[in-house]
Amino acid sequence: MTPILELRNVSKRFGGLAAVKKVSFTMNEGEIVFVIGPNGAGKTTVFNLVSGFLHPNEGTILFEGQEITRSAPHDTARRGVGRTFQIVKPLPNLTVLQNVMLGAFMRTGNVRAAEEEAVKILAFLQMQHLRDFPARGLPLAALKRLEIARALATKPKLILLDEVVSGLTTGEALALAELLKGLQEWGVSVVGGVEHVMQVVMKIADRIVVLNYGAKIAEGAPEDVVKMPAVIEAYLGPKYKELGR
Amino acid sequence: MKGLRSWQLWAVLGIAAACASVPLYVRNDYLLQVLFRIALFSALGLAWNLVGGYAGQLSLGHVAFFGVGAYGLAIFTDLGVPRWISMLLAAGAATLLAAIIGRIVFRLRGPYFTLATIAAGEVLRLMATNLKITGGAIGLTTPALFSGQLFWKWFYLAAIGLALITLIINYRVSRSRFGYYLMAIREDEETARAVGIDSLRCKLQSLLLSAFLTALAGALYGSAFQFIIPDSVLALDTSVQIAIITMLGGAGTLLGPVIGAVVLLSASELFKNQFKESHLLIYGILIVAVVLFMPEGIVGALQHLFRRRTKPPDVAAGIAPGGRDLSGSGTPRRS
Repeated sequence: MTPILELRNVSKRFGGLAAVKKVSFTMNEGEIVFVIGPNGAGKTTVFNLVSGFLHPNEGTILFEGQEITRSAPHDTARRGVGRTFQIVKPLPNLTVLQNVMLGAFMRTGNVRAAEEEAVKILAFLQMQHLRDFPARGLPLAALKRLEIARALATKPKLILLDEVVSGLTTGEALALAELLKGLQEWGVSVVGGVEHVMQVVMKIADRIVVLNYGAKIAEGAPEDVVKMPAVIEAYLGPKYKELGR
Repeated sequence: MKGLRSWQLWAVLGIAAACASVPLYVRNDYLLQVLFRIALFSALGLAWNLVGGYAGQLSLGHVAFFGVGAYGLAIFTDLGVPRWISMLLAAGAATLLAAIIGRIVFRLRGPYFTLATIAAGEVLRLMATNLKITGGAIGLTTPALFSGQLFWKWFYLAAIGLALITLIINYRVSRSRFGYYLMAIREDEETARAVGIDSLRCKLQSLLLSAFLTALAGALYGSAFQFIIPDSVLALDTSVQIAIITMLGGAGTLLGPVIGAVVLLSASELFKNQFKESHLLIYGILIVAVVLFMPEGIVGALQHLFRRRTKPPDVAAGIAPGGRDLSGSGTPRRS
């Protein structure tokens, strides 16, 4: 079976800085994969490369077997790659409902149909009560959910969640993690990039890819990855081992 | 950004009908000329609103399309084309020009975009000043689209008609997916692209539509004043005035441009008569006051007032673990 997403030796340089170095990994249908790593490891850059906001200097990116290495962001989105932004980017003067409708408009030109779809998604993310508020001024927890809602409304086959749980309290993060597991019922494969909230990663990831200084240093099942010395050294820290996770 | 309900649309049509009946009791040429300018600038503001309001692209180069409309009418008619067809051809030429200018300027954002649009307008003004076909600095006489004793009445009615058509286009756009796309681009272009919106293409489409309508207004204006020179129909001032009218009334709202045109142009006329030379000063103070106290324009300020009354601001939009509403206000409120 063709993987839903495949990165082959993808590299990205910003001037002299190699942000991503020869990273390869695949992502299969129905999987939840998390990309983790310390700050500056290149997680967001990888997401920007996949979603077409950046183009790699080297390497190939395939989505459902087709090359999307140099696709524009809107083309990539139309193929079925949804994404959220780490630094939330709502449409501030539009209501929550309208924000989500904009995602839905990718699949329908009908305003009423888009609204119905948006209402369903808001219900799934438990934010119906916010539908008529402008996005500006919502608390971070709601904005993070709004990012997911908008991406989900485009009916993506793959959704890239860029640190949707970071910056939330542990309680908020765990509640959101529960919801993320439900994303698959919407026919979505998930890639998340999470920095600090390892509980969430451990709880829902099928597989973890670890980046450090732009290079992939480990990949595997969550329980295996957290035991790898290289991962503990680079990211989790010795305390993590002592605590037994 | 709520659109009009159907009764509101009927109200607008009623007002338009009232406007159209004005010449029945106003026979003063000066007054009709002022009303013509108000109606024309309403149309111009509404046309600009598509790009500058909904799509949020602050163009200060719209005079380019205005000028092409006026010059096109004169030049095509001079070549033997019937005048009404000339007007359409001129609008077509402006649309073509918009396609070329747009491809360049829409690659820039924010102030750089605005500066590029100013440059585009200025390039056209300089060309018109120096080319033979445009009559250089001396300008051209324009064919009269309407003539006879009551010609101001007909120009006024034509301007009202154009404003109404432009208003209906604005209305249709604001209720469509295309309108949502434009607003998304205004709010955050990156996010717009992440939900599959081809932002360059959408901005370009809005500009083409806007340029066509702006050129029709330019042709009407050129014809009404019978004579055009680069400094009258290609001056940066006109671009600025169109933008200010729309922003004063409320950019990205349906009625904002109309209200802006009525307020600003009638104030300008009144001050001109009342205060002689100092009218520009008062005009300037008025604009500063609106920008300071009503940054979203008159319609925007009214909407805020209305919203504050209908929606209590105490609903802190909190999400607790598990998605419960933590606003402390009991039941979540809607609309």
